Amino acid sequence: MRRPSALVIALAAALVAALPAAFAGSSADPGISSTTILVGGTSPLTGPAAAYASVARGAKAYFDSINAKGGVSKRKIEYRIVDDAYNPATTVQAVRRLVEQDKVFAVFNTLGTEANLAIRDYLNQSKVPHLFAASGATTWGRDAAKYPWTIGFQPSYAAEGLVYGQYIAKAKKKAKVAVLFQNDDYGKDLLASLKLGLGRSGSKVVAAEPYQVTSPDVGSQIAKLKASGASVLCVFATPTFAIQAYVFANRLGWKPLIINNAVSGTSNIMLLASEGGKNKLVEGSISTTVLKDPTDPRWNNDPGMKLYRSLMGKYADGENINDVYHVYGMAVGYETVSLLKRLGANPTRAGLMKAARSMTSAANPFLLPGISVKTGKGDNFPIQQGQLQRWTKGRWVPFGGLWVSKRN
Amino acid sequence: MTPRMQRTFGFGAFAAFVVFVAVLPSFVSDFKAREYSYVAIYLIALLGLNILTGYTGQISLGHGAFMAVGGYTTAILMAGNEQYGGPFSGGLKDLWTLPIAGLVAGLVGLAFGIPALRLSGLYLALATFAIAVAMPSTVKRFEEFTGGGSGIQLFGTPELTGSIANVNVLGRSLTPNDWMYYLAWSIALVLFAGAWLILRGRTGRAFRAVRDSETAAVSSGVSLARYKTLAFGISAAYAGVAGGLFAIASAFVNPDTFPIALSIFLLVGVVVGGLGGLSGLVFGAIFVAFLPLWAQGQDLGSLLPNRIIEETQKPGGPAIVYGVVLILLMFVLPNGVGGLFRRIGQLLSSRRYSRSD
Repeated sequence: MRRPSALVIALAAALVAALPAAFAGSSADPGISSTTILVGGTSPLTGPAAAYASVARGAKAYFDSINAKGGVSKRKIEYRIVDDAYNPATTVQAVRRLVEQDKVFAVFNTLGTEANLAIRDYLNQSKVPHLFAASGATTWGRDAAKYPWTIGFQPSYAAEGLVYGQYIAKAKKKAKVAVLFQNDDYGKDLLASLKLGLGRSGSKVVAAEPYQVTSPDVGSQIAKLKASGASVLCVFATPTFAIQAYVFANRLGWKPLIINNAVSGTSNIMLLASEGGKNKLVEGSISTTVLKDPTDPRWNNDPGMKLYRSLMGKYADGENINDVYHVYGMAVGYETVSLLKRLGANPTRAGLMKAARSMTSAANPFLLPGISVKTGKGDNFPIQQGQLQRWTKGRWVPFGGLWVSKRN
Repeated sequence: MTPRMQRTFGFGAFAAFVVFVAVLPSFVSDFKAREYSYVAIYLIALLGLNILTGYTGQISLGHGAFMAVGGYTTAILMAGNEQYGGPFSGGLKDLWTLPIAGLVAGLVGLAFGIPALRLSGLYLALATFAIAVAMPSTVKRFEEFTGGGSGIQLFGTPELTGSIANVNVLGRSLTPNDWMYYLAWSIALVLFAGAWLILRGRTGRAFRAVRDSETAAVSSGVSLARYKTLAFGISAAYAGVAGGLFAIASAFVNPDTFPIALSIFLLVGVVVGGLGGLSGLVFGAIFVAFLPLWAQGQDLGSLLPNRIIEETQKPGGPAIVYGVVLILLMFVLPNGVGGLFRRIGQLLSSRRYSRSD
């Protein structure tokens, strides 16, 4: 080759022209422009866990309301929701797309234990905030030193299972306990801590049946659990399967005390499980929550719930206002906005994580009064409290004070 | 066109496609290269499935499970475990696991091909569907190898080439995404040529004979047992390589990575690409890789009005869009994209021969 071809010259020229632009670009982190903050996350809009789609929708409605008031530090929050159908491999692809193509500031509110596990290494090595993983796996808080870019939100399943175990130990003498659990980290976390909570009380787990997320129903598991002769049934299952557990147990004529985990223990799911009042098994069920329930008359005049209803009307019109997962979404949206506010005019990814590790929010309007969202030195679990509740005549009635998780 | 011209045209088109694949990453964003590598992965799986379904006439609704076998083989070998002993205790570099993934899946396919001999049509479809259904539970059964429901995390391990850092190949520095793209596409193109070689000769003729009429095939001396199991084996080996690459690209496997729906999407991809043809499968693979994204309005923001995009964001929206597009496509292209190619070819040749001047 005697002289460089026109193409090579053109390419070299383009490169030289592009170089200064590449270095001169604003020093802001990805996802931050002068008018917007772009965050993104996956949500199961389809598939076996599609009931949780309202979590993302609630957060989006809250961001929309903040944007309508001018946003945070004059930037609007754009929240990009991508469907992963509860399949972690799809989550990986979608999150890489959000980070590398859409260039989000943070990955936010991604739903599912397995989904979050699948993306955690990638996000931490890429130094992208993995904010408020929507899963109660204990690992988010416990392994914060190894994964500084990841933080959860809700109380850990370990804390929740412990509370159920302690409740059974106190309320029942020598109870036989049967457990239906999802065959993954989430189900196993709950089961292990339930056993821990039962301790040496004399009550013990006599049967535990796993189910796969991909299986059509849990009929055979419930039949086996009934055969164990247990008087308490713990349902550590996502909404579709939890409803099935109630329906199958009722059809088999089994009448155990049912403990339903928080992820399925919302009133909208309980009403579905009650089959329009035909299924009496729901009566007396025990669960725990951190959220205000929009169907609970206690909150009729509560400013938080009034705000919730008006936001649902304005930004999620046509969606089921009684769906408590919207409340979860707004609660997590509220904390995100207060973090972003603390970052001021020049938000950075590192700054966001620093703020997330030192939260002190005492009055989230969507959480039960007295529940605080806080993190700090050695404490990487944002919410560590909860309220036990009993399903009585078509709604949840709280009992006992707020529980506080001292472990983890 | 005479057959010879067709052959020349075919080689020319393949060569042009190879060049297109080679230069494409220079014209798209770095991340797009990663997404296009999934097209190559699905293409490999579809090639395998088409050998079985399109050429040999055996329906499989379980190819996702063969992908899972390959994916888990790759992941388990990469993760390594001291209990395995020998060269497997330390973890194998990703590239070397791929032939093993193909081999293991191929053996599983051969093993499955034997009972499948007794079944045909719908019954075979159901039997293969059963492996797809049983796969997640089987994987969780062997938790010490497969990591159970949490699966195996490969991101950042030394066995994975290019997690974050660039990869040097033949003196060129490739970004991790470009590396994945070239890896997947080089394997896909080699396997494409391999499929063509298998299908053009004696074996391919035997496959087609089995498909068109088993009775006629047997009476011409084609061993049904031999060629059906062989088709299953080759087909599963292709799926295994695809699964291995899928595990490398996702840097993660768990039982939900290879859901039942994947098996069905693969069959859809073969039908869209065109049964009994190879070139259309590229479009089938694009369909499998991208339609779920497009059905959510991703990438189409500038093409479609906001109102429609919003609808696709609602629960169940993507599934409806997917279904509608599939139905429309089958109306317009009943023989898939491959069928369209053949129609065009026929039109050209018939014009040539029917010209009066």
